[in-house]
Amino acid sequence: MKHLSVYLWACLAWSQTPDTDWLHYGRNLSGWRYSELSQINSSNVNELTLEWVFQTNVPGKLETTPLVKDNVMYITAAENNAFALDLATGKQIWKYAKEVPRDLQACCGLVNRGFAMLGDTLFKVNVEATLVALDSKTGNVLWETVIDDYRKGYSATVAPLVVKDKVVVGIAGAEFGTRGFIDAYDARTGKRAWRFWTVAGPGEFGGESWPRDTQAFQRGGGSTWVTGTYDPELNLIYWGTGNPGPDMNGDVRPGDNLFTCSLVALDGDTGKRKWHFQYTPHDVHDWDATEDPVLLDVVHEGRKVKAVAMANRNGFYYALDRTNGRLLAAKAYTKVSWAKDIDKNGRPILIPGQDPTPDGNVACPGGGGGHNWQPTAYSPQTGLYYFTSSDGCHTYYMTNQEYVEGQWYQGSTFNGEGLYPKGSIVAVDPATGDTRWRWEMVSPPSGGLMATAGGFVFGGDPQGYFFALDAKTGKPVWHKQLGGTVIAGPMSYSRNGRQFVTVAAGQSVFTFALK
Amino acid sequence: MRLFCWLLGFLLPAALVAQNPFAGNAKEIDVGRGLFRIACTPCHGIRAQGGRGPDLTLGIYNNGNKDEDLFRVIQNGVPGTEMPGYTRFGDDNSWRLVAYIRSLTLRQEKPSQGSAAAGETLFWGKGACGQCHKVGGRGGPMGPDLTRVGRKRSLAYLRQSVVDPNADLTPGFFKITVVTKERRTISGVQRNFDNFSTQFMTVDGKLHSFQREELNSCEREFTSLMPPYRNLSEAELNDLLAYLVSLRGEVAQ
Ligand code: HEC
Ligand code: HEC
Repeated sequence: MKHLSVYLWACLAWSQTPDTDWLHYGRNLSGWRYSELSQINSSNVNELTLEWVFQTNVPGKLETTPLVKDNVMYITAAENNAFALDLATGKQIWKYAKEVPRDLQACCGLVNRGFAMLGDTLFKVNVEATLVALDSKTGNVLWETVIDDYRKGYSATVAPLVVKDKVVVGIAGAEFGTRGFIDAYDARTGKRAWRFWTVAGPGEFGGESWPRDTQAFQRGGGSTWVTGTYDPELNLIYWGTGNPGPDMNGDVRPGDNLFTCSLVALDGDTGKRKWHFQYTPHDVHDWDATEDPVLLDVVHEGRKVKAVAMANRNGFYYALDRTNGRLLAAKAYTKVSWAKDIDKNGRPILIPGQDPTPDGNVACPGGGGGHNWQPTAYSPQTGLYYFTSSDGCHTYYMTNQEYVEGQWYQGSTFNGEGLYPKGSIVAVDPATGDTRWRWEMVSPPSGGLMATAGGFVFGGDPQGYFFALDAKTGKPVWHKQLGGTVIAGPMSYSRNGRQFVTVAAGQSVFTFALK
Repeated sequence: MRLFCWLLGFLLPAALVAQNPFAGNAKEIDVGRGLFRIACTPCHGIRAQGGRGPDLTLGIYNNGNKDEDLFRVIQNGVPGTEMPGYTRFGDDNSWRLVAYIRSLTLRQEKPSQGSAAAGETLFWGKGACGQCHKVGGRGGPMGPDLTRVGRKRSLAYLRQSVVDPNADLTPGFFKITVVTKERRTISGVQRNFDNFSTQFMTVDGKLHSFQREELNSCEREFTSLMPPYRNLSEAELNDLLAYLVSLRGEVAQ
């Protein structure tokens, strides 16, 4: 009898919580980072306990969003490392490692944001700008393709996006005078299927937004280091592009500098541009538009619209009609000193005197922007869009700089000394950008977010806390100190009737569940 | 013969580069500053006071204190560390960088005129600095340890630290104020301040630790708990500074 009740209970739990995977960087192709699991909820969140820890022992920042399929978790780490872990114990099943070329230059650490998966094949970029396909059962290399020459200043950190039978990747290196692009590779062979240049060349559409008869466009930046999203119905890929180069010196590149600091919508088969939207024309503050472009539906003027949301680094939240790139709404979510507002065509109404100068000029938001690349979350349950924000300003400097191939080419820098920026997690109505709540943090945030049907927003902070906020109110309901900065986005999955929540912190991966 | 050529190849440049052609040349220093902003600030900070790389404004370097040592580090980097080599900048630009780095450290070279012995007396006596600062094993633990402060900081910085502590705070030594549920207000110097808890030290050397939910309020101010010493005579101040400059880590710990 006792046995029966145990079985019944187990069956009940099982039926409530079917096995759920996490197969894409952003959980679904729309980039929601929403888990429909609700076993962990306000009635029991206090009982959340550590299930296992996996120590990568890889120095450097851990930015991975783990993937989970069958009984294995797949994570990538810095410096070309990756691991397959047993889901039940966190024990290593295989490890992939490849030496990083000694002469490689990367702006922001030899990091990696995770795998993409198609069938039994895993895809990741290596930091020296290659794309590698691994057999998920063994970690063996199936193929490796050079995306571009790292000696020119290119590097790769992005988690790829699988679109049908292709693997789409972006590139980094806008601080090294490179010309950015988005590439698609045949998943079976690793052969390049198409390339979209994010800096328009002479004679191409947008080419007139760069100075004529100069090499400026070749060094024009526009890197694409955060994973895009895909709408299968429209067959469009949405991908954000980074700052123009050199970052702080706009004098050598008069014009709007298309398609930097933009969102581009590309045909899912050919990579041809369907439309683009430029958030920051002629950027001089390093405000990449490499934030999650999240696909969601909003009601706009009484009509349901397929939208794409982005909390842009320039301090404004934007909702666009994702069928045509038209602006639906734009609203500042943090202190903004450089633009009064965004006009109805999506162009910022500038406030003069905000550009970098040789002796330094303070502008807000700071160089990392308001919201940066950190994973964001959308909950269809609350209808709110969640993201982190650095709230503060930086001093921006401008210097004339000669271009040398493969070398740092930023045209000076920015600096927050003495300005003490803070941070917050913001929940906005995605239709309008109106802030619904804001949880203030003691310093600029570092980690990504995930929303769950249990009614939480999970996140992590620079001081090593992993926490859950009430998705409706922003009140913290649970936290645990992990002893290492959380930079990655959390994720969730279920096995045998139990919901698990996983996040990387420091050099390790932590998995929690109810006792 | 081949060996000879190799040796010559090594020795000749070394023999040629002993002197900085741009030392003290304001115009060249300015060019050096521009170069530094572009290439070096990501690691050494906009004011060369350090970050991922060490503070370069101290005039004391692990890799040698002579101009040619700095030149060598800039050219070759420090193997096995993040410090890259910049041979591609060419000799002139490396010398400009050396001249710029020197211009940051030179300001402090003028020795302080006071008496270190008198300063020591003032420090532990009338100034009551030892209430909050340790030198060697002696003194209170709330403020920064000053055992090596003469190596770490410039004279100008030290002077400012004493007369106007808020002008440039020692990183991390911020003021925390909490109000407990019993309405007791406690202020101290930050040891940790995060989204869920805070730890800080009061002037009596006591460490306090609170979870935010135990408190009515919990604030951090970017101000110093050190009182400004504006009433010292110029002579007293010079004595005190002479003492601080003499603190070079050689005191028994
Ligand atoms: C990628 C980061 C990085 C960059 C860029 C960088 N440095 Fe360094 N630098 C370091 C680190 C780290 C060290 C400490 C090396 C060690 O452990 O000895 C260092 C050491 C030095 C030292 C020696 C300090 C000592 O105490 O001996 C000098 C001088 C120096 N750097 C100058 C420069 C200059 C000038 C530039 C720009 C041209 C520059 N660095 C660019 C990281 C960097
Ligand atoms: C009530 C406590 C207190 C007293 C008394 C005090 N200090 Fe401080 N001091 C601090 C604190 C806290 C800081 C760190 C914050 C800041 O930068 O002001 C500091 C910073 C300093 C620094 C900067 C150290 C560094 O490495 O950046 C110096 C130098 C210094 N004090 C010297 C003195 C001297 C000399 C006296 C006596 C004339 C004195 N202090 C008295 C609390 C005190």
